[in-house]
Amino acid sequence: MASNDFICIENLVKRYHDLVALDHLNLSIQEGEVFGLLGPNGSGKTTAINCLLALLKYDKGSISIFGQEMHPDSYDIKKDIGVVMQNVAVFEQMSVRENIDYFCGLYIRDKAARRRLVDEAIEFTGLEDFTKMRPKKLSGGLLRRLNIACGIVHKPRLIIMDEPTVAVDPQSRNKILEGILELNRQGSTIIYTSHYMEEVEQICSRIAIIDHGRVLATGTTEELKQMIKTGDSITIEGILLSPEILAAIRGLPHVFDLTYEEQVLKIRLGTAKHNLVRVLNFLQEHDITFGRVFSELPTLNDVFLEITGKELRD
Amino acid sequence: MLHLFKYRFMQTMRDFSVMFWALAFPLILGTLFYLSFGSLGIESTGDSSWDTVKVAVIRDGSSSENHKAFEKFLEQMDGEILDIQDISDESKALDALTDEKILGIFYVKETPSLTVSKNGIHESILTSVLETYNRNAAIFREIAMTHPDRLPDAAAAMEDYRQTTAEVSLGGKSMNPNSQYFFALVAYACLSGAFLGVKSSFDSQANLTALGARRSITPTHKLKLILVDLMVLCMIHFVNILVLCLYVTHVLGISLGDNPGALLLVDLMGSMIGICLGIAIGSIARLSFGMKMGFTVLFTLFPGFLAGLMFGNTKNIIEQNCPVINRINPAAVLSDAFYCMGVYYDMERFTRCLVILAFMSILLLGIAFLSIRRERYDSI
Repeated sequence: MASNDFICIENLVKRYHDLVALDHLNLSIQEGEVFGLLGPNGSGKTTAINCLLALLKYDKGSISIFGQEMHPDSYDIKKDIGVVMQNVAVFEQMSVRENIDYFCGLYIRDKAARRRLVDEAIEFTGLEDFTKMRPKKLSGGLLRRLNIACGIVHKPRLIIMDEPTVAVDPQSRNKILEGILELNRQGSTIIYTSHYMEEVEQICSRIAIIDHGRVLATGTTEELKQMIKTGDSITIEGILLSPEILAAIRGLPHVFDLTYEEQVLKIRLGTAKHNLVRVLNFLQEHDITFGRVFSELPTLNDVFLEITGKELRD
Repeated sequence: MLHLFKYRFMQTMRDFSVMFWALAFPLILGTLFYLSFGSLGIESTGDSSWDTVKVAVIRDGSSSENHKAFEKFLEQMDGEILDIQDISDESKALDALTDEKILGIFYVKETPSLTVSKNGIHESILTSVLETYNRNAAIFREIAMTHPDRLPDAAAAMEDYRQTTAEVSLGGKSMNPNSQYFFALVAYACLSGAFLGVKSSFDSQANLTALGARRSITPTHKLKLILVDLMVLCMIHFVNILVLCLYVTHVLGISLGDNPGALLLVDLMGSMIGICLGIAIGSIARLSFGMKMGFTVLFTLFPGFLAGLMFGNTKNIIEQNCPVINRINPAAVLSDAFYCMGVYYDMERFTRCLVILAFMSILLLGIAFLSIRRERYDSI
C-alpha cells in the first residue's frame, strides 16, 4: 500500500478480546500540520499511536508513513520520527544531558552533530540549569520537558506527542505548547493527542475527535464548530424569571436550549448575528433586572457534547 | 556502538539495586558460608585438620581370613579417617547411632557391611571406606584364582592401605570438604548475572516499560541493542565474578585452583551464561514483569541448589542417580569446571564444561533474539 498522505491510516481495527479499541479508524495527515487527536481517556488515542509506531499488533487495516507501509523493522521511517511518550521514558541513573545524548545517539552517529543537537534540545526545553541533575531530582514539569527533549533531540520530520502535558503545572504547560508550535515552524509535522480541549484548540491546525475507537469528526477548529448548531452560550446571573417569561425567552429566534436554576439562566443559541443583543433587548423590554452576563462562543467541548451526547471529560 | 556501550555501562554501574544482587549478595553469602563452617577444615586447601568419623565395629565372633582382613583394614583407618569407639554390643551400637553419638556401624562378618542412619558427607566417607575394602578384597580374590603364586606380593603391596591410597587427588590437591560450597557459590554468582540480563531486556520491550517503547521506535536495530547489552553486562559481571573469586581466595583463603588462565576462562563463560539466561527470560514477551523476576530467582537459585549451594552432597547424589541433570544444569557445569581446574586437573572434562556453557549461551541468546525480532505486542 502506498499513499500520497504524510500519514495514512485506513480501516484500522484493534481488539482486546471482546473490547474493540479501534473500530475502523481512518486518518490522513498532511505534511506541516499540527494534527490533534482529541478524545476522552480510553477513547483509543494511545492505542492508535502505538499501532502507528508498529508497537502493537492490530487485527485489520493498514498504516503508511511518508508513503511507505510501517513495520517493526522499518528503520528508514523510524529515523525521521520522534516520540514523546505519555509516561516519562528516561534512565534514572543518568543525568539530564546524558539522557538526551543517549537517545540522540540512537539516531545520530556523528559526534559533533550530536553535541550540537543536544545543546539545541537543552536550550529549546529550557533545561540549561539542570543538565547535571538526575531525573528524580527534577520537578514534574522539568521531567516532562526532559521527556520532550529526548523525543525531539534528533530534529525528526514527524513528532508524535502523546499527552505530553499530563500532570504539568500551567507555566511548564505553556512553555511546552509554545515549544510545539516552534517545532512546527521549524518544519516538523506534529501529531498531538490530548483530552485537554483548550490545548488542542490552541495549537492544532486540524483536529480529529475520537471516541470508542472511531473518528467522529475531523477538521479545523472552526470547521468543527460549524458542524454543530450551537452558536453562542449566554449565561445571565442574578435574574428572577416567571414561567411565562421563560417560555417567552424559549420562543426567541435561534434559542434551542435553556436552563434556569438558582437565579442563573443559561441559553444556547444557534449560529446567528446579534444573539446577545436580542436577548438583552428582550429583558429590557420586560423590565427585568439581572446581574452579570457572559456570552461564550462554542468550544470543542460543545462540539463533543453535541456529537456524542456527553462531556469530553466524563 | 561505542556511544551505546558507554551509556549502557554507565547506567548499569549506577544501578545499585541490580549491582547488589550481582556483586554484593554473593560476597555476603560467601562470608556467611565462611563464618558458618568455622574451623571445619576451611583454612585448609591442602592437608586439612579433618575431623575423624566416630563409628562402632561389631564382630560376629568368627576368625576367618576375611574377618581378620577387614578388621585389620579398619584398624589402619582408626585415627586417620575413623574414630572407632569402644562398643562391642550391637544393641548399644544401634542406640549410639540413634543418639548420633556415632555415625555408622561396621559389621565384621563374612560379607562386611555398614549401617548409617542418614545421608551426609561423613556417611558418604564411611560408604567409601567399605567400598574401598570390597574393591581390594575382590582384587585379592581375582589374583588368588588367576595368579595364586603372586598372592604374597599383592598382599605385601596392599598391606598398608596408605601406601596404595594416598590422600591426594589426581590434581595433586587434597579436597577441602567445604570447597564444594564455594564452587557452588561462584557458580550461583555467575548465574545471578541473570538479574542484570533480565533488567536490561526490560529496557528493550515496549510492553513492559516506557523506556522499552522509546528504544523500540528508534532506527537502531534490536539485535545491535541486545549485543551491546550483552557485551557491557558480560564485562561488568565478569569483573563482579573476579572480585568474588579474589575475595574467596585471598580474603577467605579458599583455593579455587592454581591455574589463573583457566579461572579467568571459567569466570568469563560463567558471566556469559548468567547474562544470556537473564536476557532470554526477559525477552519472552508473553511473561509479565513479575513472572520474569520470579523465573529469574528460580533459574538462579534452583540450579545453585542442585549444584550443592545449600546441601553440599546434592550434586553427587544427582550424579549417581540422574547425571544428565548435572550436564544441563549450568551451575553444576560451572561447579564441575572448578573441580576439574582446582582438584582433578582434568582438562578434557574442563574443556567439555566450557563447550557446554558456550552452547547454552548461544542457545539462550538465540531464544532472546527470536523472541523480540520484529515483535509487535498484543497489548501495551
